[in-house]
Amino acid sequence: MSIIEVNNISKSFRIVKKESGLKNSIKSFFKREYKTIEAVKNISFSIDEGEIVGYIGPNGAGKSTTIKILSGILTPNDGKCSINGYTPWLDRKNYVKQIGVVFGQRSQLWWDIPAIDTFSLLKDIYSIGDEDYERVLNELTDKLNLSDILTTPVRQLSLGQRMRLEIAASLLHEPKILFLDEPTIGLDAVSKQLVRDFIKNINKEKKVTIILTTHDMSDIEALAKRIILIGKGSVLYDGSLLKLKNKYASKVNITVTTKDKIRFKKKGLLETTRIKDGYQFVIDSKELNISSFLNYLTQKISIEDVTIENENTDELIVKLYEEYNI
Amino acid sequence: MKLYIKALKMHIMSELQYKGSFFMSIISQIITFFSYYFVIISLFTKFNNIKGFSLYEVLLCFSIIQFGFAFNEVFARGIDKFDNFIISGKFDQLLLRPKNIILQVLISETDFVKIARLIQSLIVMVIALINLRLEITLLKIFTLILMFISAIIIFFCLFLISASYCFLTVQGLEVRNVLTDGGKQMAQYPIGIFNKGFIFVFTFIVPYAFVNYYPLLYFLGRNNNTIYAFSPLIVFIYLIPCILLFNLGTKKYKSVGS
Repeated sequence: MSIIEVNNISKSFRIVKKESGLKNSIKSFFKREYKTIEAVKNISFSIDEGEIVGYIGPNGAGKSTTIKILSGILTPNDGKCSINGYTPWLDRKNYVKQIGVVFGQRSQLWWDIPAIDTFSLLKDIYSIGDEDYERVLNELTDKLNLSDILTTPVRQLSLGQRMRLEIAASLLHEPKILFLDEPTIGLDAVSKQLVRDFIKNINKEKKVTIILTTHDMSDIEALAKRIILIGKGSVLYDGSLLKLKNKYASKVNITVTTKDKIRFKKKGLLETTRIKDGYQFVIDSKELNISSFLNYLTQKISIEDVTIENENTDELIVKLYEEYNI
Repeated sequence: MKLYIKALKMHIMSELQYKGSFFMSIISQIITFFSYYFVIISLFTKFNNIKGFSLYEVLLCFSIIQFGFAFNEVFARGIDKFDNFIISGKFDQLLLRPKNIILQVLISETDFVKIARLIQSLIVMVIALINLRLEITLLKIFTLILMFISAIIIFFCLFLISASYCFLTVQGLEVRNVLTDGGKQMAQYPIGIFNKGFIFVFTFIVPYAFVNYYPLLYFLGRNNNTIYAFSPLIVFIYLIPCILLFNLGTKKYKSVGS
């Protein structure tokens, strides 16, 4: 059953045309010229309950606009959208109880006081019952490891600690759908891992549907099986990450440590580089099977060590953006 | 209401994080605010009345307007500084919470330093009342209370109007100043002392006259028409279009974006 159904959503903004220079500034002060920017056009997709979807695209592609429409902050010019039975921009008060939103770059915590006080205010804002609040808070404290940081004023906490609290704050009312806008931005490796594990966990245990926007491809790799790629306001790709990888990331780096010398040519072998104590090969895995290539090598030389690297997802995305010209 | 009180407590806790700066600000507030009164007092050392209004009558009028304004500065700071919400994107967050937007703006910000002004205006009122030696009736006390409440409401209305203006241009500062600060400066005096044009504006466009002129006349015993005693109620009606205007602004924001 799809919980999110988006149908041909379009949104355009009218902005004042600005040109540089004092003369133009004065001119535009008296006579404004407007231009229309289509932030998103005809976006459609549907998401099933319990899915994690990575929503990716370059800066300015329309990611935030989509998230704002889906969370009810903006009203689109055109199109339909149904999320858990609600239209986000109508019936705001009831709809927002269904969703949680984390903006990685914007805090919802009060800066000068401990987070627990913000939580208790949120409890009242969402009219959460005492028992439910207690239970959810204990659970979140446990899973996100919050017990030490709940009672410290927020301004004294590190970014990673704050992000954990942000995520907890947006889950207090047990939303069915969670929008995460760059949740790991600026976090160190440990915090990132903790946040990712937690996201996975709530998705699995509570069947929370998650839409994740990020520029960090390792987030997507760790969390989302499905990605929606958006560029210039349109959906360019909607499907599994794996397929995308198979299509684009056929290049494999193989580094071999050896004392022997070798020089050969083979179909599918793209590059051979001599490095300090061995060789680095780049092969096209579509044309040349990795295991047969290694087989071939072991027959010729004695190998001390070997590492195999797929092209990483960042490079894949760059390629993808290039192909779609965005 | 429970929510608002809880939020107030949190604001106080936040303020107390910076004790030193909090008390210093309060002291500086007291000093600046007394300078306002000195202006009036020195005015009256030259002239012993303004169009028939004595010093203490003007001070009473003055304290009521100051009270209303300061009350809003303390408790409705968020609406006063509404442009910050739009610029910083905090307004988006309010839209994500299942409560009334105006209420949420109210609970998001307070400015307790201005509480000094509130107390001062009450002190000035007491001084004025003692020196006026009026004949006090029950209805007059009622009128006085009504004047204070309507003073709070009228500035709340004006803050709402200028906040709504922020939806159009993001920064609505100057328009607000014309309405509130400019208007406040004039309304501190009994409006009858100004010429007809001003009286018209402050009666029908921004109904200051119903806050501190017509009821004041009744309270001082200059006019015994009981309608004057109840005239501050007009301001409550004024509140309705202001709230509608703000809601309209919210709708517009949702279709235009930041």
